[in-house]
Amino acid sequence: MNTVLAKFLESNKKAILQQWLDCALALFPEKMGYSTPVAMVLSGALEKILSGLGKSENDCQEALDDVTRILAVQNFPPSKALSIFLEPKLILRDIMMKTTVAGTLTQEVQEAFNSRFDRLTLEAFDSYMRHREKIYQLKVEEGSRRMYMALRRTEA
Amino acid sequence: MSKYVPKLSDLKKEFDEKPSVLKGNYSVQEWWDIPVEFRDGNWCFPGKPEVLEDLGFANPRKWAATDENWQLPAGWQKTISDGLQSRLKKYRSLKLFLDSCVRCGACADKCHFFLGTGDPKNMPVVRAELLRSVYRHDFPLVEKILKGFSGSRKLTEAVIKEWHMYFHQCTECRRCSVFCPFGIDTAEITMMVRELLNLIGVNNNWILAPVSNCNRTGNHLGIEPHTFVQNINSLVEDIEDLTGVAVEPTFNRKGAEVLFITPSGDVFGDPGVYTMMGYLLLFHHIGLDYTISTYASEGGNFGMFTSNDMMKKLNAKMYHEAKRLGVKWILGGECGHMWRVVHQYMNTMNGPADFLEVPVSPITGTRFSNAAATKMVHIAEFTADLIHHKKLKLDPKRNDHLRTTFHDSCNVARGMGMFEEPRHILRNVCNTFHEMPEDTIREKTFCCGSGSGLNAEENMENRMRGGFPRANAVKQVKDRHKVNSLVTICAIDRASLPPLMNYWNPGVSVYGLHELVGNALIMQGEKKRTEDLRENPMAGFEDGGDDEE
Repeated sequence: MNTVLAKFLESNKKAILQQWLDCALALFPEKMGYSTPVAMVLSGALEKILSGLGKSENDCQEALDDVTRILAVQNFPPSKALSIFLEPKLILRDIMMKTTVAGTLTQEVQEAFNSRFDRLTLEAFDSYMRHREKIYQLKVEEGSRRMYMALRRTEA
Repeated sequence: MSKYVPKLSDLKKEFDEKPSVLKGNYSVQEWWDIPVEFRDGNWCFPGKPEVLEDLGFANPRKWAATDENWQLPAGWQKTISDGLQSRLKKYRSLKLFLDSCVRCGACADKCHFFLGTGDPKNMPVVRAELLRSVYRHDFPLVEKILKGFSGSRKLTEAVIKEWHMYFHQCTECRRCSVFCPFGIDTAEITMMVRELLNLIGVNNNWILAPVSNCNRTGNHLGIEPHTFVQNINSLVEDIEDLTGVAVEPTFNRKGAEVLFITPSGDVFGDPGVYTMMGYLLLFHHIGLDYTISTYASEGGNFGMFTSNDMMKKLNAKMYHEAKRLGVKWILGGECGHMWRVVHQYMNTMNGPADFLEVPVSPITGTRFSNAAATKMVHIAEFTADLIHHKKLKLDPKRNDHLRTTFHDSCNVARGMGMFEEPRHILRNVCNTFHEMPEDTIREKTFCCGSGSGLNAEENMENRMRGGFPRANAVKQVKDRHKVNSLVTICAIDRASLPPLMNYWNPGVSVYGLHELVGNALIMQGEKKRTEDLRENPMAGFEDGGDDEE
């Protein structure tokens, strides 16, 4: 990532975020409003991810986890859930077509951006799977906790 | 890019092809035509045939919500229709709630399931409309004439599936009713619909199996008396190991002053057992003349999630046992829905309990006139009164390893209006307590997402969605004040909040209030305490620390 991209992201952050959040909320059944806790967490996390992108030391793992933690327990399939990480590329393209700064973004920079989001999608997949596995782990742990005394007696 | 990453075109195709209200696909259809979809994680396993047979409930069979054919019994429409009619006559509240809603929408964004899923049928107003639309079709004459115009619809199998889905995405927490200008209690609508569904065998095993167990042996897990006693005695041994004090609970002792009844989760489950240890230490500390029944061995009442008659039957054992043992009054442990049953229904269902006395604390002399009707006192009131009268020797430093916040349990908060007593206790037994945001506590508390018998493992994703608003509020105090302990006074909370925290806020543990009381109590003749009731080290007491006054 270079300074040109960082500058571009900074000046268009609000527009990108708004569109990205809209895409994320459109995943939900019908009426996930901006003021819901889900929207607030998503909004904060997506912003962190975006802010981190232009920087060289980009660690957005925590924000990524916040997003996938919500996605992993929803009523839609993984393919749909993780599709939100493919959206920024389209959003970027749309915005670049409309802004004058676009002229300053070289093909190389755009490719860097796209490739970063491809990596992010794969990282999101890992994170999503960790949360799915956690759900199964919770089921097992809950079963043991419920039978705590019975298990203790068998062990004794 | 990896070849395994789904193609954007495929994803867009799925999204484009799948109908959604947002895209206007249903703009020409009524809201109820949007189909329900049962998939992994959003439904609970149905009642097992043998459980239904034990209870004498309708239509025992093997089935699943994902089946196309639910094998409803012949004439099921008439069963539901007659069932609704008889309930409308019997319960004026139901008729009032069905007739008086003006669909103002004040409740819409108050439901934790709606906030967690964004599904409009989880708006309390729409959820209730699932029943109202059928009621309008069948009952008031004017509505029958104005069919269609009034938003009425025929009872079909699709409606039953929808009821099953959405009345099992309501935890009967009543947060919506706090905001309703008419005071409509959607929880009671849910209770009635679940009762109707049980008439045709559409049910939930996680509710009915405990009901059946409780009906037979007196508690949800079906633990028989000898095992019940052995479990508590095993906790007594733990207490002696940790504190050097031998507490001596008695069982089924006639002539005791007080009968103590708590949810059986406190006797069998983790972390409930630590709360039980707290109760036992407290009773020993004050020398309470109490006994525990191995027959009325359950405070919880899943009958409330099944039918009014079953709730009444399971509740009656408390009074029967109190009468048999000849106690003066009943002390109840930390539980949620148990207290809604006790506070709002017990007296009219099984009262008046003339053979009991209005509860008076033998230690402080306080007369609990608020419990004059039911003769049953919540342990948080009892302990808060002890602390208020300075009858307990407490060292809050022993809970310094815990940075706490308090989760108001729905039924204790909204069902009986108890807000201050648990907080008074908490402030006296620990040094660090931070409240969650104002609109998520007290009467506006968010449910754990697993109440009213939805705590089934197979329903985990749904529970995580429904519990998200609560978890999000905990996260705020976790981030801001480094809170690591969520304290609560409900057995379902103690069972369901650990996975909820583990998922959304790893690092936050769940505690019963009286577990913290047990940690803080300075017992007469105790040995040096270095570990809390979970055998975790207490901060500042590990080595060379001194917990003596």
